[in-house]
Amino acid sequence: MTAAALFQSALASLPEIVVITGACILLILGQLLRKGQEHFLVWSCVAVVLIAALATLMLSSEVRPAYTGMFIADRFAAFFKFVFYLATVLTFLLSRKYADIEGIESSEYYVLLLFTLSGMMIMASATDLLSIYVGLELMVLCTYVLTGFLRRERRSNEAALKYVILGAVSTGIFLYGVSLVYGLTGTTQLDAMAAAVTGHPLDPGLLLAVVFIVAGLVFKVGAVPFHMWVPDVYEGAPTTITAFMSVGPKAAGFAVILRVFLNPLVAASDVWIIVAAIAVVTMALGSFVALVQDNFKRLLAYSSIAHAGFALLGVVAGGADGIASVMLYLLIYSLMNLGIFGIVIMMRNGDFSGEVIEDYAGLAKPHPGLALLMLLYLFSLAGIPPTAGFFAKFYVLVALVERGFVMLAVTAVLLSVVAAYFYIRIVMVIYMREPERTFDPALTPLVRATLAFTAAGTIGIGLFPAWFLRLAQNSVFGG
Amino acid sequence: MGIPLLSLIVFTPAAGAAVLMFLRSDDAVRWTALGVTVLDLALCIAMLASFDTTTHEMQFTETHPWVPVLGITYALGIDGISALFVFLTALLGLICVLASWVAIDRKVKAFMISLLAMQTLMQGVFCALDLFLFYVFWEAMLIPMYLIIGVWGGGGRVYAAFKFFLYTLAGSVLFLIGVIVLYFNGGETFDILALTAQDLPFPVQSWLFFAFLIAFAVKVPMVPVHTWLPDAHVQAPTAGSIILAGVLLKMGAYGFLRFSLPMLPEASVYYSTLMLALSALAIVYGGLLALAQDDLKKLVAYSSISHMGFVTLGIFALNLRGLEGGILQMFNHGVTTGALFLFVGLIYERTHTRSIADYGGLMKVAPVYTTFLALFTLSSMALPGTNSFVGELLVLSGGFAADLAAGAAAVVGALLGAAYLLGMYGKVALGPASVGARFKIRDVNAREMAAILPLAVFVVWIGLYPKPFLNVIDASVVHLLAQVHSKGSGQ
Repeated sequence: MTAAALFQSALASLPEIVVITGACILLILGQLLRKGQEHFLVWSCVAVVLIAALATLMLSSEVRPAYTGMFIADRFAAFFKFVFYLATVLTFLLSRKYADIEGIESSEYYVLLLFTLSGMMIMASATDLLSIYVGLELMVLCTYVLTGFLRRERRSNEAALKYVILGAVSTGIFLYGVSLVYGLTGTTQLDAMAAAVTGHPLDPGLLLAVVFIVAGLVFKVGAVPFHMWVPDVYEGAPTTITAFMSVGPKAAGFAVILRVFLNPLVAASDVWIIVAAIAVVTMALGSFVALVQDNFKRLLAYSSIAHAGFALLGVVAGGADGIASVMLYLLIYSLMNLGIFGIVIMMRNGDFSGEVIEDYAGLAKPHPGLALLMLLYLFSLAGIPPTAGFFAKFYVLVALVERGFVMLAVTAVLLSVVAAYFYIRIVMVIYMREPERTFDPALTPLVRATLAFTAAGTIGIGLFPAWFLRLAQNSVFGG
Repeated sequence: MGIPLLSLIVFTPAAGAAVLMFLRSDDAVRWTALGVTVLDLALCIAMLASFDTTTHEMQFTETHPWVPVLGITYALGIDGISALFVFLTALLGLICVLASWVAIDRKVKAFMISLLAMQTLMQGVFCALDLFLFYVFWEAMLIPMYLIIGVWGGGGRVYAAFKFFLYTLAGSVLFLIGVIVLYFNGGETFDILALTAQDLPFPVQSWLFFAFLIAFAVKVPMVPVHTWLPDAHVQAPTAGSIILAGVLLKMGAYGFLRFSLPMLPEASVYYSTLMLALSALAIVYGGLLALAQDDLKKLVAYSSISHMGFVTLGIFALNLRGLEGGILQMFNHGVTTGALFLFVGLIYERTHTRSIADYGGLMKVAPVYTTFLALFTLSSMALPGTNSFVGELLVLSGGFAADLAAGAAAVVGALLGAAYLLGMYGKVALGPASVGARFKIRDVNAREMAAILPLAVFVVWIGLYPKPFLNVIDASVVHLLAQVHSKGSGQ
């Protein structure tokens, strides 16, 4: 590799370099900080992310392949990176107070989040099965640790252990699929793979390889049949990490799925039938099981499974609209989901866990503003206009019907009616019960800022979706 | 481009709701809400004053790009049919505020905000000329209505609110898919007028007809998807019942008029017999159910099902008298049933019972109340001289022209109506004063009178001189009918 090529490669991956360097520096600085100086750490982390965002913005004008075809900085990656930045920064803001309440004192918490971010960014930009694997592992290893961060809590430890074991298995499956692909085509690059099989009838070995890769990736987004870890991990992890995982790593998983699945190789293999089946079963399971949950975090876990199923339908639709619909869906889902999690995180104060839905009974009376925000997020999650959640679903349906998958669209909307039930049940608890206790939410300025931002996004994109829609459409790769 | 009158009509209540958020005292909230609804009604009257009844074209149109990539526009406009309902919505909005003045005594601010939000969305549904915009208004109504029933309703309010929400949502999501299919079959546009001009192949029309039917039938409601209605009506506060009966039920019928008939004419003609049969079923079945009720509100609720059967019967008679009668009957039902729910609410505020068996001889203790109740009861059973007589007569004559059996069923329904309504009135108002012995019932006061009188005026006005009302809708109905028959006659 010549010096010029190396420089070009480094330039293309500048945001990743910024984040990783920043994380390393903060890792050392964090050890030197005294107690009570955590806010310095939080703001430094935010600053690192903002610098990376600036770099991404400056690089997004053209497509830059790098590292001999392992990596690419294109608008598709840039769009996802902005979703990741958004999720990470909001998680930082939500974490500050929550970390005090839960007694998380180590600075590694923030640094690990930065490393997770870098892993997700690599995933979004990876164009080779091996660089995908590197990004994936970097991301999940950090989230394993973060899940178990409440060291004194059994649930947290148990969740982390479960997550590690299941995650390792799924990674193994993924790697096995990669090795099969390499054996059959002699390459692991996505484009080269496609070129290698063009003109050949698909052999069963390749199909098997694709199924293994699918299995590995589907685990990361929490779709059936690899969803079992989701509720336990979501429930056990610190709520801030749950919020983060439901948004960031999930979006990263989808970034890879879109790159891999909409590759000509996969598109030719009728694998969409598998994905369609997975999507429908995922939606059905998420929606129906969520009906009987009493724990708010578990309910949101199943809700996130259902949403993953809906987004997968956009993958099934494929094409420019299909890809754009998934991207827009993930952006909107990030906003509304971080919003509702923000409230759950904020309710955790003193002895009050705020994890059981009944804990929210009558919230509307003492805190009408908070109740209104929850109403907004919940109806958005349910997909009722004029919220952004409706437009996200609407666009996926448009993409589906455009491809002629009308029955899939009908199934999807009927299942979303089931899902609406458990969202409005929470609204019922908030508005139609009498308060049984006094509420003392940890409403710090940072939390307020997060809620204001997510609420503005949830209603703003719902009312004026045009700009965001065009952004997503312009960011579709190859389009 | 003058003043965007329709946007003003649609968004005045929403702006009022925003103002309410900053008010502290309950009385200020009530008076502001009243002011906003009066303003909205005044705007509607201004709109009607300059409304041109000689054309079927959309008037007061406004178009702005909204999501250009998908061909979605913010487009408003009204023809004769929608004009009538925009006005009805504004009128009932005002009456709802008056009806909730003392009946709602907790969370007044939140209630009035929901009520005004509801009014914006309902006006939006009737004004929208873009399918996507229409759907946004249509579906967004679920949120405030869910809260109105669920927070301020009676004992079983939570169950009723859930049932209302899920029924309506399930119906309208299929409509959404229909809308998207229509979008791709009709040249990638959501413009209602452009879609109306399309000639869709019959199989597509057929599928869409049923997708739309489910959504609209739930709203109307038609038997057998009517079961949410009695629960919602009985549990909702008075204002909620008035909105439900007065406006929401009309939206289903309005959907048939705006989408099914002009966009799917072949399917509408082809399936008209089915629709007539369903309407006849609703008329008779609703009437029989009403006959068996002891709860005043339930009785009015079931009578609504029967009366809305008349409306759909008139629409799917697919002739001029039927359609005009159906549309007029939609307006009449809004006025009359809205008034009946108001009356049930008024007496319930005084006695806290809705059981007919608890009442008797009300005439002696509350003569003004019972006199007006008589007027609206007679109107509901379509006595000559009242508004419903004109509507029902037109529907019957249209119905008989279309299908003898359907017409006959409607006559049976009208007889049943006389039976349960007169029975109810007799037990409540006449006879010995049983309730007066236990409660001290005061007659209607000035505020209540202000809510009753406008409705009474319309009952008599339409009953004696319906021409202005028929004039408003005439051009649009003639045009609609021409559309249906020019394209639909191929079958």
